[in-house]
Amino acid sequence: MENNNVDFTAIWQQQKVVQPNINELQNKLNRFKRNNLKKLILSNILLIATIGFVIFIWYKYQPQYLTTKIGIILVVLAMATFLLVYNKQFSNLNKIDDTQTISDYLKSLTELKTKQKYIQTTMLSLYFIMLSSGICLYMYEYTSMMTIFWAIFAYGITLTWIGFNWFYIRPKTIKKQQAKLDELISNFEAVNNQLNRK
Amino acid sequence: MEFDEVYKSYWQKIFRLCMGYVNDFELAQDIAQETFIIIWQQLPKFRNESNIGTWIFRIASNNCLRQIEKEKRIIKTDLPINLREERQESIDPKIQLLYKFISELPETDRLIISLELEEVKQAEIANIIGISEVNVRVKIHRIKEKLMQKFKENGE
Repeated sequence: MENNNVDFTAIWQQQKVVQPNINELQNKLNRFKRNNLKKLILSNILLIATIGFVIFIWYKYQPQYLTTKIGIILVVLAMATFLLVYNKQFSNLNKIDDTQTISDYLKSLTELKTKQKYIQTTMLSLYFIMLSSGICLYMYEYTSMMTIFWAIFAYGITLTWIGFNWFYIRPKTIKKQQAKLDELISNFEAVNNQLNRK
Repeated sequence: MEFDEVYKSYWQKIFRLCMGYVNDFELAQDIAQETFIIIWQQLPKFRNESNIGTWIFRIASNNCLRQIEKEKRIIKTDLPINLREERQESIDPKIQLLYKFISELPETDRLIISLELEEVKQAEIANIIGISEVNVRVKIHRIKEKLMQKFKENGE
């Protein structure tokens, strides 16, 4: 056995690579920071624009009913929640301690993905509920000015669309998201099990 | 400890760890760079309560594991062209084989053997991975046997 012993350490350490200049690392870091900032600014601009648009409607059309106002607020809240969750996904929600042991890191990764799974599902449902009820309330003032036939027609179409989203699009999206996260979770768990194997 | 110093003394080691993990020269460079960006960001938070080497190798190993999440994504390198031209692919087939064999091991075994070949003490390895020293010793022994086997099958 000793005769065909290969000196792995010596071979291993022969692998060399040019060390990139430290400035280059700095550039990469700056680029990375800039990209994150850009993402944050972009989603916040969207948020502010949405709110601006709603305020514009509020002033322009001067809704009389309380239901309309509540409806508008619900729709904005829905969008705001969505954007806030989206923003958070890029910042502290994704943070886990990089300096813990590998075994703990794998556990944290699994926990993180499980948490993401829960948040995604809950938030998506909450988003749909707020948006749908907001739209229905908002419509009330305008449909009440229509004839019964057209009012029912308008609500019928809206509710069909909402139903389609709730019963078809939402479960489909959730399933897709879950499948991706479940796969990651099982991968992390499998890797962690390598450590426990005797 | 200054970042420059860390960067100088650990770049090759971290690169080799990544190379053993993925066996892809450019990807390994990318992951190594990413690791140093994390080290840069975290260094002010480093308290001397643990060995700096342990601390750095933990970050690097964890960052390698994070690749599980990214594996399906196409990773674009943004290294400048001049650097890519002078890259030194190892010509010695033995080196290539060793890295290839290591990258075929289960994920955590890749990290453990890389640390061992980097001559990190086994107590430190235990501390990086989060398993007992006895367990580390057993695992290293098995991994080396496996590698030896692979070299033999390959007629080396």
